[in-house]
Amino acid sequence: MTKTQRSLQIRHVDGGSCNGCEQELAALTGPDYDMQQFGLDIVASPRHADALLATGPVTDTMATAVERVWDAVAAPKLRIAFGDCAAGCGVFQHAYASHGGLDDPDLVIPGCPPDPKAVIQVLRQWLKANALPS
Amino acid sequence: MNNTPWSQANQALKESHYELLCLTATADDTITATWLNPADGSQQSLNVPVIDQHFPSLTPTLLEVAWDEREIHDLFGYLPEGHPDLRPLVRTPRWPERFFPLKNASVDPPPWRALEPDNPAVTVQGEGVTIMKVGPSHAGIIESGHFIFSLIGENVLHLDAHLFQNHRGVEAQLEGLTVSEVAPLISRLCAADTVSHQTNWALAVESLSDFEASQTLEWRRIVLLESERILSHLNDLAQIPAGVGFQVAHQRALAIKEYWQRGLLLIYGHRFLFDTVKPGWAHPGSAEDMIALLDAMAPKWKAWRALVEGHHGFQDRMEGVGIVQPIDAVHFGAQGVAARAAGKAFDARTVLPWYRSFDLQPSISLAGDVKARFSVRLNELDESFRLVEQACTLLRQKGNLLAGNDLTQGASGRVITFTESPHGLNVHDVVLNAGHVTRYHVRAGTYRNWPLLAKTVAGNTVADFPLINKSFELCYSCNDR
Repeated sequence: MTKTQRSLQIRHVDGGSCNGCEQELAALTGPDYDMQQFGLDIVASPRHADALLATGPVTDTMATAVERVWDAVAAPKLRIAFGDCAAGCGVFQHAYASHGGLDDPDLVIPGCPPDPKAVIQVLRQWLKANALPS
Repeated sequence: MNNTPWSQANQALKESHYELLCLTATADDTITATWLNPADGSQQSLNVPVIDQHFPSLTPTLLEVAWDEREIHDLFGYLPEGHPDLRPLVRTPRWPERFFPLKNASVDPPPWRALEPDNPAVTVQGEGVTIMKVGPSHAGIIESGHFIFSLIGENVLHLDAHLFQNHRGVEAQLEGLTVSEVAPLISRLCAADTVSHQTNWALAVESLSDFEASQTLEWRRIVLLESERILSHLNDLAQIPAGVGFQVAHQRALAIKEYWQRGLLLIYGHRFLFDTVKPGWAHPGSAEDMIALLDAMAPKWKAWRALVEGHHGFQDRMEGVGIVQPIDAVHFGAQGVAARAAGKAFDARTVLPWYRSFDLQPSISLAGDVKARFSVRLNELDESFRLVEQACTLLRQKGNLLAGNDLTQGASGRVITFTESPHGLNVHDVVLNAGHVTRYHVRAGTYRNWPLLAKTVAGNTVADFPLINKSFELCYSCNDR
């Protein structure tokens, strides 16, 4: 029996991004990339999700919301840092109200913002090789 | 408080139809209001000192600075005397009591208090009133904002928009940086208006260095600024049909936007044009490739415009919804598409000297509804196609005359620069000392439009909020900073 994951339902939270990551996520659900065909989707509730995907350096104001959304996702579940800011290597890491990215990500998707084609590749490769952390 | 000389002087400029560029506080206990004369592009600055942490509020007579003064109160601790609503705007209950990040010298993260970040909301009291809270995390792919609706049945009585969820503290972070360190941060203030922000920073350094831009540099910047407007307007136009479930128009517009972005990636190396304008420089791109991209785009764009303009159901759905009254557009100091769709003819490009030979005509509507904002964007996008083509043609015929003096790395002084971003008048107030930033204030186009959006939504049904919101399409990132 295989432990690998066939699909991934993702809950997105903006932790202080410049909106570039959001626009690329929207493009991924659009007609050119159509990520749903690979079992990848952005869902409207953390209760429907297998993963939290955070963008931005995680502002102090959003830090509580990010962790609350994470708590609402049922295990096994995945924490994804999307883009350089969430990955901890963006340009606003050291601003006073920035927490410097998403804590303890299971998967980091780099880029400023990440290229949509690469996002699909990274997510599919990860799903082929791994099971969701429990 | 309404009759101070400070308030009278500002009021006089407002009544003479000047545009407020920005109201900026500095750590040397001064408040500066800078106004733009829309007839000739000249600027006029007025000052008032902060005495014992107090300064006279302009808000009772100049509604549009209500947020600016609350922000100054939060970040500097200066109290605008006579302000009718001094609830926190940027700061949250988690901020330590005496932490004023732009006044205190240290910009290190303070010890955050273990409290909820929610600020007190204004709601309507009474029988049958329901309070509906939305955000800060949303059910779709959007930026973070917290909205508190007071409803009666399906009708919105009042909307209290709590933004600044994305506040990182960028203005404080910029202080102390050298001229060469600033550009990557400014480029990433907002993905939707990045070229406009980059250009403001470049113009600031160039102005303080007495650098004279060549025509080639100016044309390259026009191509980049208008390419950004095309990208951003395509995105915003795609969202409006999505707000009413018109998926065909939504998906087709996303496909056109994607086509444009792939072209930008090939020509400029970035899908959002990050890092394409710097002091003394603009990405050369390729005028030939840009014209070829325009030619390939034209049939796709024309077909889409015909689809949405010919769809009566869609046009009817937008009509009469979310009406901005012309008087509100003036009082709130509205900017960009939201203002021009409500009869306020201001477009900052008309006073920028490098646009002068392009014979730009601002697109205007008087209706003020969602349909007007949609159609102003359609017209502006066609105008941007024309501007890109005209500038590229000039670059092909007369380009590469890149002379020009060098930039001074150790520039000093204060300058206020502005451009017309896709979301309206975008202003940077920059103070440099020997090549180091000592104050950097950003007043983005959306900042004035957020309070206007909240006012506009009242009186509409709650189901119309997504549609009205998308027709304003205000960004959060350069508003919150």
